[in-house]
Amino acid sequence: MPETIMTWQTLAPAISEIWLVAAICIILLVDAFAGQTRRGLTPTLTLIVLAVGAALTAAYSNVDHRTVLFDGMYIADGLAYTLKLFSYLFVAFGLLYSRDYLEERGILRGEYYVLALTALLGIFVLVSAGSMLTVYIGVELLALSVYAMTAFDRDSGVAAESAMKYFVLGAIGSGALLYGMSMIYGMTGTLDLDLIAQRLHGTPNLGVTIGLVFVVVAVAFKLGAVPFHMWLPDVYQGAPTSVTLFIGTAPKIAYFALTLRLLAHGLGGVVVQWTQMLGALAVLTLVVGNVVAIVQTNLKRMLAYSTISNVGFIVLGFTAGTPDGYTAALYYTLIYILVALGSFGVILIASRKGFEADHLDHYKGLYKRDPMLALAMMMLMFSTAGVPPFVGFWAKLRIFQALWETNHFWLVVISAAMSVVGAFYYLRVIKLMYFDAPPAVYPPPQHSAAVRAALGLNALAVLVLGVLPAPLLDLCSRLIH
Amino acid sequence: MNLTHLVLIPLLPLVGAILAGLLGRVIGRVGAHTVTILAVAISCALSFQVLKQIYLDGVPAFDGPVYSWLVSDGIQFDVGFLIDRLSAMMMVVVTFVSLCVHVYTIGYMSDDPGYQRFFSYISLFTFSMLMLVMSNNFMQLFFGWEAVGVVSYLLIGFWYTKPSAIFANFKAFLVNRVGDFGFVLGIAGVFYFTNSVNYADAFAAAPKIAGAMLPLTSSTSVHAMTLICICLFIGAMGKSAQVPLHVWLPDSMEGPTPISALIHAATMVTAGIFMVSRMSPLFEQSEAALSFVLVIGATTAFFMGLLGIVNNDIKRVIAYSTLSQLGYMVTALGVSAYSAGMFHLMTHAFFKALLFLAAGSVIIGMHHEQDMRKMGGLAKYMPITAITSWIGSLALIGTPFFAGFYSKDTIIDAVGESHRWGHTYAYWCVLGGVFVTALYSFRLVFMTFHGPERFRQVAAGHGQETAVTPAAPAVSAAAGVHAAHGADSHAHDDNHAPAAAAHDHGVHDDHGHHGPVEPHESPLVVTGPLIALAIPSLLIGFLTVGPVLFGGYFGDSIRVLEQNDVVGELGKEFQSPTMMALDSFKHPTLYLAAAGVFFAWLFFLKKPQWADAWARALAPIRNLLLNKYYFDWFNEKILSTFARGLGFTLWKAGDQVLIDGALVNGSAATVGWLGSIVRRVQSGYLYSYAFWMVIGLAVMLGWFLVR
Amino acid sequence: MFPYLSVLIWLPIAAGIAVLLLGDKNVAAGRWLALAASVATLLVSLPLMLHFNSGTADFQFTEKVDWITRFHSYYALGVDGIAMPLVVLTAFITIPVIIAAWTVIESRPAQYYAAFLIMEGLMIGVFSATDALLFYFFWEAMLIPMFLIIGIWGGPRRVYATIKFFLYTFLGSVFMLVALIYMYVKAGDYAIAKFQSLPLTLVEQRYIFIAFFLAFAVKVPMFPVHTWLPDAHVEAPTGGSVILAAIMLKMGGYGFLRFNLPITPDASRELDLFIIALSLIAVVYIGFVALVQQDMKKLIAYSSIAHMGFVTLGAFIVYQIVRNTGGLQGAGMGMDGAMVQMISHGLVSGALFLCVGVLYDRVHSRQISDYGGVINKMPIFAAFMVLFALANTGLPGTSGFVGEFLVIIASFKASFWYSLLAAVTLILGAAYTLWLVKRVIFGPVANAKVEHLTDLNGREFGILAVLAVAVLLVGCWPAPLLKVMQPTIHHLVDQAVASKIPV
Repeated sequence: MPETIMTWQTLAPAISEIWLVAAICIILLVDAFAGQTRRGLTPTLTLIVLAVGAALTAAYSNVDHRTVLFDGMYIADGLAYTLKLFSYLFVAFGLLYSRDYLEERGILRGEYYVLALTALLGIFVLVSAGSMLTVYIGVELLALSVYAMTAFDRDSGVAAESAMKYFVLGAIGSGALLYGMSMIYGMTGTLDLDLIAQRLHGTPNLGVTIGLVFVVVAVAFKLGAVPFHMWLPDVYQGAPTSVTLFIGTAPKIAYFALTLRLLAHGLGGVVVQWTQMLGALAVLTLVVGNVVAIVQTNLKRMLAYSTISNVGFIVLGFTAGTPDGYTAALYYTLIYILVALGSFGVILIASRKGFEADHLDHYKGLYKRDPMLALAMMMLMFSTAGVPPFVGFWAKLRIFQALWETNHFWLVVISAAMSVVGAFYYLRVIKLMYFDAPPAVYPPPQHSAAVRAALGLNALAVLVLGVLPAPLLDLCSRLIH
Repeated sequence: MNLTHLVLIPLLPLVGAILAGLLGRVIGRVGAHTVTILAVAISCALSFQVLKQIYLDGVPAFDGPVYSWLVSDGIQFDVGFLIDRLSAMMMVVVTFVSLCVHVYTIGYMSDDPGYQRFFSYISLFTFSMLMLVMSNNFMQLFFGWEAVGVVSYLLIGFWYTKPSAIFANFKAFLVNRVGDFGFVLGIAGVFYFTNSVNYADAFAAAPKIAGAMLPLTSSTSVHAMTLICICLFIGAMGKSAQVPLHVWLPDSMEGPTPISALIHAATMVTAGIFMVSRMSPLFEQSEAALSFVLVIGATTAFFMGLLGIVNNDIKRVIAYSTLSQLGYMVTALGVSAYSAGMFHLMTHAFFKALLFLAAGSVIIGMHHEQDMRKMGGLAKYMPITAITSWIGSLALIGTPFFAGFYSKDTIIDAVGESHRWGHTYAYWCVLGGVFVTALYSFRLVFMTFHGPERFRQVAAGHGQETAVTPAAPAVSAAAGVHAAHGADSHAHDDNHAPAAAAHDHGVHDDHGHHGPVEPHESPLVVTGPLIALAIPSLLIGFLTVGPVLFGGYFGDSIRVLEQNDVVGELGKEFQSPTMMALDSFKHPTLYLAAAGVFFAWLFFLKKPQWADAWARALAPIRNLLLNKYYFDWFNEKILSTFARGLGFTLWKAGDQVLIDGALVNGSAATVGWLGSIVRRVQSGYLYSYAFWMVIGLAVMLGWFLVR
Repeated sequence: MFPYLSVLIWLPIAAGIAVLLLGDKNVAAGRWLALAASVATLLVSLPLMLHFNSGTADFQFTEKVDWITRFHSYYALGVDGIAMPLVVLTAFITIPVIIAAWTVIESRPAQYYAAFLIMEGLMIGVFSATDALLFYFFWEAMLIPMFLIIGIWGGPRRVYATIKFFLYTFLGSVFMLVALIYMYVKAGDYAIAKFQSLPLTLVEQRYIFIAFFLAFAVKVPMFPVHTWLPDAHVEAPTGGSVILAAIMLKMGGYGFLRFNLPITPDASRELDLFIIALSLIAVVYIGFVALVQQDMKKLIAYSSIAHMGFVTLGAFIVYQIVRNTGGLQGAGMGMDGAMVQMISHGLVSGALFLCVGVLYDRVHSRQISDYGGVINKMPIFAAFMVLFALANTGLPGTSGFVGEFLVIIASFKASFWYSLLAAVTLILGAAYTLWLVKRVIFGPVANAKVEHLTDLNGREFGILAVLAVAVLLVGCWPAPLLKVMQPTIHHLVDQAVASKIPV
C-alpha cells in the first residue's frame, strides 16, 4: 500500500467528520458562554451546522469511486456518502421535533445537542469504517454519547435506571464485539476488512467460528435482535421521548453499516455460517417482537417492540446473504427510520409540559382533538403495518423478494404471518385515535407551525414514497451493487 | 297467425297490469278495470282466432323465437312461442275464464281499497299463464311457472293484514318452490342430454335419452328418462297440488274468491297437467315415471275428495273437490290418456270456476260468511246462484250429457283399459272418487241452498253453533269459528276487507247484536259470469267430446306410443256423445254418483241426525279427515321445526362456537396469551438481561461448535 | 386515445381528497361535489360499455406507464369481458351509496363521502389492473377506507367487526403477495399475463393455488372463512354494507377467475372438488343459518354468502364436466353463470341493504321483531322490498334467476348431485327471504314505531327505482351482458383446461 500524503484532496472525502469535530468544539464554546442567556441559540446553531455539513458533504465527499484513506482505516464510497446525508437529514428532523419537548421539561441545554453531534460523528465513523479498529471506535463513540443522552434528564429516576442498564449491557455487547474481533484478528492477522475478506473463505476453523459467533452476538445486540434485545424496551420507555426518538432513528443507519461492513463485507467469505445464525435470530426476533408488542399498554414500549420486529425484517434481509438481500435491508432500514421518526415525533408533539403522551389511552379520540396529528399517525401506522399505498409495504415486499430469490420458503411464510400479527397492534392505535371517544379533560394541542409542517412532510413522504417507490429502490440497489 | 299477432296476446294483459298497477291512483277504479278488461278481452278474442286458424283453417303450428334471451357457451336461450292445438286450447280457456273473472271482480271487490291492485294482479297472472302455455322452451316455461306462482303468492296474501292469509301465501310459495326444485332439475337433466332447452330438440332426442343411463354414484346409475320425468313431475305435483305437495291449495282459499276461481281452480293449478301433456313425448319413454304419476294422481283423486265431506267452509269444500279433480286429470296422464286429462282440464275449468264464483256470490249474499252451517235455504233468495250451482255440481259429479260426464267417464274408462303398473289401485280410487264427489258436492248444495234457513239461528252468535249441528266435533266447530273470525277479523282491521265497508250491519250480525238479515241475489256483474260459465258447463262436453277426444284434435301436439294409446281404444267404441251418455247407464259409475247424491240428500237434508250418528260411529276416521291426514301437522310441527333447529344449531355451534370461537378469536387469544407469557421474561432486572444474553451466546456457540 | 380507466380510478380519488379538504364546515358543497364526482365517474364508464369490442378476449382501453422499472412492474391498466362489467357496476353502485347518505350521516359527513369516493377509485383499480403488483396495491389499499367506514360510522360492535374484517382479509392477502413475488422471481415480470403463461410444476401450483385461495376465499367469502361478513355487514353503515356486498365480495370471485384458474390450472383441476364442496356447503349450510337470523342485515349477509356459493361453484365445475362428459360443453356456461350471478347479486343485495337502511333510518332497529305490517304505512317501499326479495329468491324475470339457472343446469353436466344441492337454494332462498318479508312487510301494524312510519321520500324512491329497473332489465334481457363476456370466458375455459406443467 503506497504512503498516503495528507493533502486537501486526500482529506476531502472525510469532510463531514472533520466539519463535525470542528463544529462540536465551536458549539461547546458558544454554549458555554452564550448558552444560558440565549436559549434558542444552540439548537438553531446545531441545525445550521447540520445543514452546512450536509452541503459540504454533498460538495466534497461525493466520490465517484471507492476511495480508501488512512491506510484503509477509512472508506469513502457512494454508500457512506448517501448514508451520511440521510443521517444529517434524520438527525436534523429529530432535533427539530425534540426542541419544544426539551424546553418544556427544562432540559433544553447545549450538551444535549453536543452529544447528538458526537453520536452523529460516531455514526459517520462507523459508516466509513474500513478496519475493525474504526468500526470499534465508531461503535463506542456512538454508544457512549447515547448512554449519556439517555440519562440526560437528571431528575428522572427511570431515565437513570434505563441508562444504567443500557450502559452495562452495552459494555457486554462491546466486550463481545471486541473479543470476536480479536479472535478474527488472531486468525487472519489483520484488522483491515478488505484483507480479511481476501483471507477468509471456505469453511472457517474453530477460532474464526468462535470469533464469528461473538461478532454476530454483538451486532445482534446493537440492532436489538432477540435474545439480545432486553435493553431496548426499557431504554425506549425510560429515556426521555426525544432521546428515544434519537436512539430509534439515525443510529440504525450506523448499525446497518456495521452489519454490512463487518459481516457482509469483511466476513463475506463465511457468509453461510453467519446467515444461518442470523436466520435463527431473525425468526426469534419477529415472533417475540410482534407477540409481545400486542400486550403492551405503553405506546413507547409498544413501539420499542415494534422496532424489534422491524429489526427482525432487517436481519432477514442480511439472512438472504446476497447483494439483493443487503439492498432490501438498506431500503428497509431507511424506511423504518423515516416511519419511526414520524411516530416518535407524534408522541413528542402530543406531549405537554408535565404530561407524557406515552400511554396508549392518551390517544383516545385524538382525531377529535388534533385531526392533523391523528392523520399523520394513521399513515405512519398503516405504513409500518405494511399496507399500501404507504411505503412500509415496499420495504416488506423487498425483503420477501430477496428471501424468495434465495428460496427461504419458511422464512417468507413466517415473516408473512408475523406481519399480520403485527398489523393488529398498529390497527389498535388507529382504533384508539379514530373510533374511541376522547377523554373529558385533555390539554389542547399547541405546537409551532414549523414542527407540525415538518411532521406533515414526514407523513407525506411516507405516502409519496409509497405511491412512487421506484427512485429510492433504485438508489438503494445502486449503492449496494 | 303472425308473430306480432301472437305477441299481442300475452302482451296486452301485461300492459293492462302495468297501467293498473303503476298508474292505479291516476286512472282510478273505473280506469283500472276498463283497461285491464279491455286488454284481456282483446287477447281472448285473439286467442279464439288463433284456435280457429289452428283447428278449422288447418294453419300449421307455429314454433319460433320472439327474441334471444341470452347466448351462453354457444347455446341459445330464446323467449319463443309454440302455438299448436294444445297451447291454442289452453290460451282460449285461460283468457276466457280470466275474462269472466275480471268482470265478476267488478262486483266482488267493489268495496275493496285494493281494487286497482287486484286488477293489476289478475292481469299480470293472465300474462304469466299465457307465457307459460305459449312457451316453446323450458326456460320460458319455467319463467311462466314461477311467475304464476308469484302472482298467486301476491293474491293469496291480497288481504295482507290477515295473519292467516300471509301464512297461507308464504306456505303456498314455499311448497311450490319444493316442486320447482324438482322441475329445474328435470330441465337440467334434459339440457344434459340435448344441450338445448327447446321442446323440439328435447322431443327429438327423447328416444336417445330413453336408452341412456345417468350415473348417480360410481357404481349405481339410473334410467335417465325416468329420473328426468319424475323430476319434471315433481314440479307438476307442486303446481297441481298432488299429494304430498297439495297442502297449500286449501289454505290458498284465504285469497279473494275470484282468484280462487281463476288461479286455484281453472288455470294455474292445471299448469302441471298441461306441462305433462306437453312433455308426453318424454313421459311416454318411461313406464316407471308414468306409474308414479298414476299412483300419485289416483291417491289424490280419492283421498283428497274424502276431506271435502267433513269440511264446513264452502270454499274449502270446493278446494278439496278441485284437488280430487286434479287427481283425476293426473291419473289420466298416468295411463297415457293425456287428451282425456286435457279434456277434463277444459271442462273442469268451466264448471269449477262456475262453482267458485257461485260460492263467491253466496259469500257476498251471506255478508262474507263462509261457514255452510250458517246457511241453508238460500235458493229462495239467490235463484240464479242456486241454479248455476246445481248445473256446476251436476257437471262435476258427471251427470250424463253434462260437461263433466264426458271427460270424467273417459278417464275412468281409460284407467280401466290401461295395464300400467298400479292401474288396479288407480281404478278403485277413481271409481270410489265418483261416489265421494257426488256426496260432498251435493252436501254443499243441500246445506247451502236448501233445508232450514240456519242463518237466522246463527244470528244468536257463535255460541249456538254446536247446537245447530250437535255432533260437529270441537275441531270443525273451531274451524268454522276460525273461518268466521277470518272474515270479521279482516272486517275490523283497517277495513281492507269488503265486509267492513260494504256490509257493516252484516258483520254485526255475526255477533248477533240485532235481528238477522235477508240474503240477497248478487248484482249482474256477478251473476253474468255465472251464466256465462254455466252454459259451457252444460254443453261443452257434449259438443267437443267427439272432436277433441276421439277426433284426434290434439294431433301430434300430444304423442302417445301405440301400445299405450288407451284413448284410441275407447275411441273404437265411441259412436256419438248421445250414445256415450246412454251407454253410461250400463256402467257402475252413474249409479255410484246417484248413490252419492242420495246419501247427501238423506244425511244432510232429510235426516241430519243420522249424519251425526255416523260421525260418532266413525269418530277416528272423521278425526283423521278433520286433521287432513296430519300433513299440515307434519310440515309445521316436524319439518319446519327441524329446519329451524338445524339452522340454529349450525349457526350457534358451527359459526359462532367452532369457527368464530375456536378458530378466529381462539387464535387471537392464543397470540395474546403467548405475549403475556413471553413478556414475563422482560423482568426489568439487569442481571436477568445479562443472563439471557449469555445464554443466547452460549447456545449459539454450542450450536456451531458441536456441529 | 383517452385514458378512460385512469380517469375512472383517479377522478373519484381526487374528488375524495377535495371533499376531505372541504371538511365538515360546508357539508352541502362536499355532498354535491361527491355526487357530481360519482355521476361523472359513471358517465366516464359508459364509453367502456359502448366502445367495448366483444369480439376479442384481449384487454381493451389499455394503458401502460413505467412504475417500478427495476421489477418490470408497470402502471398497466386494461379491461376484458369479465373486468368491464364489474368496473361499470362499481361506478354505478357508488351513486346510490352517496345519495343514500345524503341526510342520514351526521357525524363527519365529509370524510364519509371521501372514504367512499376514494374506495370507488381503488376498487376500479383492482378490476382494471393488469399488473399483479398494481393489482395488489389497489387490493390492499382498499382495506383502509373500508376499515375506517365500518369503524367510524358503524354500530355498537363496530370495532370488533372492523378489526376482524381487516385482519381476516389481510391474512389472506399477504399470502397472495408472497405467491405473486414468487412468480415474479420466476418470471422476472409482474404482468398478470406473464404469470398466466408461466410454466409451473404441480407442487408450485398447489402452493400458489392455496395462497390465492386464502386471499379470495376470504373475500368471497367462502365457508369456513365467512364469519367476518355477517359481523361487518351488521355493524357497517348502510353505504358500507352496500359496497361490501355489491363490489367487495365480487373481488373474490374475480380473483378466482383471473388468477386461480388461468395461473394454476393443474392445481385447480386437482383441488376443484375441495372448492365445489365448500361452495355447496355455502349454499346449503348457510341457507339454513340464514333461516334463523333475527337481524335483517345478518340475514341478508348470510344470503349473500349462499349466493356467492354459486359463483365459486360455477367457476370450478369445469374439470368435473370434462371428467363426466368428456367435453367442455357447459363449462363456459358455469362461468357465465358465475359472472352474471356476481353482477346480479351486486344489484340485488345492494338494493336489499338500501331497503334495510330505509327502515333503519326511520326506526333505528335492524331486529325483525321490531317490525311487522310495514306495508300498511309504506306501500311503495313494500312494493320495492318485495320485488328485491323475490329477485333474491332467484325469480325468473329478475337478474337473480339468470346466474343461478345457468349454474344449476351447467353443474348437472358435472354431476347430478351438484345441481341437486345447488337447487336446494330455490327452497331455502325462498324460505328465508320470504319469511323475512312476511314478518317485516306483511301483517297488521305491529307497534307504534311502525304506526308512525312514513313512505319513501323522492331520493329514496329514485335510488330504489333505478336499481329495480336494472334488476328487471338484466333479468329479462341478459343477452348483452353475456355477449360482452363471451370471448373472455371462452379464452378462460381454454386456459383452465390447458396444463402448465413444464415437460
